[in-house]
This record gives sequence, structure tokens and C-alpha cells, in this order.
Amino acid sequence: MVRGFNHKLEQQQAPAFFARGPSAFARLVFFAALSLALIATDSRLQYLNSVRQTLVGILHPLQVIANTPTQLYNATTEYFSTHNHLLNENQQLKQLALKQDIALQRLSTLTLENEHLRQLLQANKALVESSILGEIMHVGRDPFTKKVIVNRGEAHHVVAGEAVVDAKGVIGQITRTYPLSSEVTLITDKSLAIPIQVERNGLRAIAFGHGRDNTLDLPYLPANVDVRKGDTLVTSGIDGVYPAGLAVATVSRIEVTPDSPFAHIVCVPKGGVENHKQVLLVSIAHAELSASATTATLPPARMPAAKINLAPSAKPAPAIPEKPQASPASKTHARE
Amino acid sequence: MHASNLKYIYLSLLLAFICLLLPWSGLALTIRPDFLLLVTIFWLIRAPNMCNVGTAWFAGLLMDLATGGIFGQFALAYTVTAFFAVRYQRRLVLYSGTQQLVYVIILLLISQITLLILKTFAGAHFIGWAYFAPSITGVLLWRIAVAFGLNTGGRARGA
Repeated sequence: MVRGFNHKLEQQQAPAFFARGPSAFARLVFFAALSLALIATDSRLQYLNSVRQTLVGILHPLQVIANTPTQLYNATTEYFSTHNHLLNENQQLKQLALKQDIALQRLSTLTLENEHLRQLLQANKALVESSILGEIMHVGRDPFTKKVIVNRGEAHHVVAGEAVVDAKGVIGQITRTYPLSSEVTLITDKSLAIPIQVERNGLRAIAFGHGRDNTLDLPYLPANVDVRKGDTLVTSGIDGVYPAGLAVATVSRIEVTPDSPFAHIVCVPKGGVENHKQVLLVSIAHAELSASATTATLPPARMPAAKINLAPSAKPAPAIPEKPQASPASKTHARE
Repeated sequence: MHASNLKYIYLSLLLAFICLLLPWSGLALTIRPDFLLLVTIFWLIRAPNMCNVGTAWFAGLLMDLATGGIFGQFALAYTVTAFFAVRYQRRLVLYSGTQQLVYVIILLLISQITLLILKTFAGAHFIGWAYFAPSITGVLLWRIAVAFGLNTGGRARGA
């Protein structure tokens, strides 16, 4: 009888207010340990990359839903923009197109001339580039980094390492790709470095993002370096990631302190790092992030281009001519 | 109002998450409150038998995914916050409206400080005091929700 009663007591569940399972502290320890394990795995090992890609792919519809209100707003304001405004804009765009057309005509002659000169010098061919137009979906949500998300991903053959450019200059680099979107680290991010050249005198350096305000730093340059306020910095192209000659930043401040052997040079990015919507994702002959190109050695992916040009000089009469080398060599001769 | 239903909990968490996914930028991004954490805290206080540290951990993991940072950072921050929320949940009955607001802002700050510590370990710099703005806007949002009749428990109801 008593045993039965005891049994009944044991079976009786505590009211919901008290039924809490393991204590909060036990849960804290468990989940904190789990989080720390995740942090360690994700920061040191590469296992979670594919997991992240899949999960972001699943979350993509949610992101699209979240983007709809602003897109609707933009569409309606566009729809109700006045006739006059559109006419004005059209006029301006036509003028701009005319100016750019003239510049383009000169560009094609210059490109040909450049190619010819390179052949004479037997220099490497300028790397071929291809580009995709993308649109910035939203700004990165992590306040500690400078990132944006664009609406082009693996489905559009975007590869990590591609340069991201807008109408005015370089804005960043693709650092992570997802199925339908990809993450762009802006040049102002602390972790991004970009090889540059001062347009005025060809001085090469590396610009680092400052991280906090939207500026770039040019560290490790001696105090007497020939950089002036207002100098334009362009990409040097020696990294094989960014095409050469794209505008990056303008020097805005140079500080030389007597106690430091280095000059403190602050630059403002040219590209609308924070205010453009359309961007171009530029890849150089499918340059990949893994191929950390240096000046001296070209990554294997781009070796053929170098071989083609060097072939005639290195081997004047090749005994066993390789097929791919034979045809470009004859081409060069034909042109000469 | 017996909204303490699992369905409602997950639906509200999902809505909060979508709010975070809105394309915030500029100043709005700086002061954007952490909707997901606010909703999690609300449920931790109102329905601790259904929403616990584990729920907060999952919410944090979602945030990690959305921010694109290293997995586990937000998860840990949310877990620690949830622990303190649950730890003092029973005392909340005695708190007045203002005391509850202080309690909530402390919870929000705990989350941000944990995250700041983690990020600093990962090599980030402190980005200025504006970093803590979301806690302030978060508690303001909480106050507004209370003013609109959200029952946040304790003596703060309808205050």
C-alpha cells in the first residue's frame, strides 16, 4: 500500500513552473563548451566551410524575403520618378557615353600598341580578365569587419579571390562564396592588403585597410618617401588578383614624426566603398586565392601565357616543338 | 494570454531573425537593436520551461551564420546571456518596471561584452563606444513594447 503510494508520488510530475530539467548552470557549461569547440574548429580547421555554405544556401530565401521591402520601395520610387527627371538623366548619360566612346576608341588603339610593344620586349602578356555584374544585397552585419554581400555566387561561377570593382575604383575582394551570394571584404577592412603603385612616380607599396574609419594606410614607407598629398594610388597588378591600373585611393594625409623612421600615410578609397549598388566582379584568367602570386613566379594556372611569349627567344629552333607552343610562335613571326 | 506555446516562440524568433536580415546600413546598422536576443530574453523570462539556454544557443548560431563570422561567437555570447536571464528569472516577479529595464540592459550588455572579448581575442580592435548603442536602442524597444501592452512579467506589466 505504502509502496504503491510512494510509486505514485514518484510518477507525479512537478508543476511546469518548477520542471526545468538540468540546472541553468549545467546547461551553460554544456553549451559554452560546445560554442568554444565550434570557435576552435572554425577558426583553425576547414571542416565547417561546406556546412556554412549549405546553411547560408538554406537561409537565402529568408534573405530574399527580408530584402523585398526595400526593393519594393526602390521600384515604386523609380516608377513614380518624373518624366523630366528621366529625360535629364538620359541626356546626361548620352553625353557620358559619347565621352567614353571617344576614350574607348583611343583605348583599342592603345591596347594594340601595348600588345605590340610587349611582343617587342618579349614581356609577359597582360593577363586576360573576365567580369560579372553583381549587385550589393546588404552590408555585412559584423561591426568589427568591413564586408558586403553581393548577389552573385557559385551558381554564377564566382570564385574566392576575385577583385570587386565599381565605376570609380577597386572596392574589395571576394573572400567567401556561397551558392547564390558571396562575401566581399572591402579594401578598408583591417585584414585586406592591396598592392598599389603611386600613379605619379610608379612607386610600389602595399595598402592596408584601416578597419575603423573608411581609410587605407600605407605603412612601412620611409619618412622621406616621395608620396604627396593628392597622389592617386592604382593597382600594380603584380599580385595576379587585381588587374593593373585600377584606381584604389587618393592620399589624403601624410604625417612624419621625428621619432619614427616610417611615414604615416592615410588614403581615402576612390571607389564608393559604402554607397554604390552595382559592382563588377573581375577575375583574371580564373585566378584563385590559393595561388598566392608573387612578383617573381607566376602561378601554374597562368604559365602557358608566359611560355608562349618566351618560346621564340628561349628555343630558337626547338627540336621537338610542342604543339601549343608552335602556333603562337608562328603567329608572332607572321605579325613581325 | 497563453502565448507560451512552442509554435509562438519559434515564430517570433524567426520574425526577429528576419528583422535582423533586413538590409540595414550606415547609422541604422550601428544602432540596430539585437532583435533576436531581445525576443530570446523575453521568452527566457516568460516561458523558461520551454525556452532555455539551448534555445539561446541556437539563436546565437543563427546570428553567427548571418554575420558570416566564426561559428560559435554569438552562440557563446547568447548562451552566457541566457544563463543570467534564467538564473534571476524568478526574482523578476519582484522587480518594478524600471528595475526590469535595468535587468534587460544588463543582459544585453553581457552579450555585447562577451562578443567583444571574443572578437578581441580574434584580433579585432575596439570600434568605439558606438558599439554599445544596440543595447540602448534594445532596451528602448523593450520599453516601447511594454508601453504597447506586451506582458513582460513581474510587476512591470502594463506599466
